[in-house]
Amino acid sequence: MAAYIYGVIDSNDRLDAAMTGLKGTLLRNLPYRDMGVILSDFDKRIAPITKDHAFEHEKVVERLMEHFTVLPFRFPTVFDNEEGVLSMMSARYDNFTDNLRRLRGKMEFGIKVIWPGDKMRMRLTPDQNSSPLLASDTPVKNFLKKKFQEYQKEKKIENEAEARIALVDGFFDGLAAEKKLEKLKTENLLLCAFYLVEKGKQEDFRQAFERLRSSSGEFKYLFSGPWPPYNFIKTANS
Amino acid sequence: MSSRDVVFESKEVTLLEILDRVLDKGVVISGDLVISVAEVDLVYIGLKALISSVETMERLRGAPFYGPMQEPN
Repeated sequence: MAAYIYGVIDSNDRLDAAMTGLKGTLLRNLPYRDMGVILSDFDKRIAPITKDHAFEHEKVVERLMEHFTVLPFRFPTVFDNEEGVLSMMSARYDNFTDNLRRLRGKMEFGIKVIWPGDKMRMRLTPDQNSSPLLASDTPVKNFLKKKFQEYQKEKKIENEAEARIALVDGFFDGLAAEKKLEKLKTENLLLCAFYLVEKGKQEDFRQAFERLRSSSGEFKYLFSGPWPPYNFIKTANS
Repeated sequence: MSSRDVVFESKEVTLLEILDRVLDKGVVISGDLVISVAEVDLVYIGLKALISSVETMERLRGAPFYGPMQEPN
């Protein structure tokens, strides 16, 4: 029987409560040295796997997070059999040990900041003073000047974005063990941020977000968490 | 209702946040071990129509992606 994997936890004990996973299958903890792999039998004829199954996967990981440090696996990860799972554990044991130690007692929070980037871009006019387009110039020269003006416009937006992101990030100074800040993934998504926060600091982190939200009505702020530390697992693939 | 539900601005954002994590993050095992790669590929294809995060799906398929990510409402 194939094995569907939800995650690796920092315990090799049998699970206390009867927990179920995908399609109501029973979860079990496959021990490997001082850790364990949470898995359930996976019938390959169960197809197609749906969005609901992805949510079931996440629910299992969140329940595990209440009791253990958990390294969530990406959905869906299926092995042909338990021997394959143990082979994977043998190859990655040291890496998993490092991750479990680093992530112990911490949780992930997500913050997105949306700004009117599209409107800002439309408002910005080319700086004609630095490189004015002249009728006397050749078409090639004017083409290059236009390109340079576009570059300057993009640079202005980028500088403005960086300044705003620094302000946002400043609200969470000293509250996160690690962070990942992704700038301008789309024109209007100014910041997509992930913070790794110790459990004892999560309330302070929430309050910092509330201060951020009330500091300016100009942008839209989205907060999510606590999550299992999906964005902070460091593997050879990441 | 979890604390996360309280603080989210909308249900759609919640769904995207979950899917972007479970489909694109976490421990990723690639094919050097005893894994049903073909089976997993089939699963991805089955999911393709359900997911609104185009960027995530393109990355899972191994293809380059140059467009914008689905943006939260």
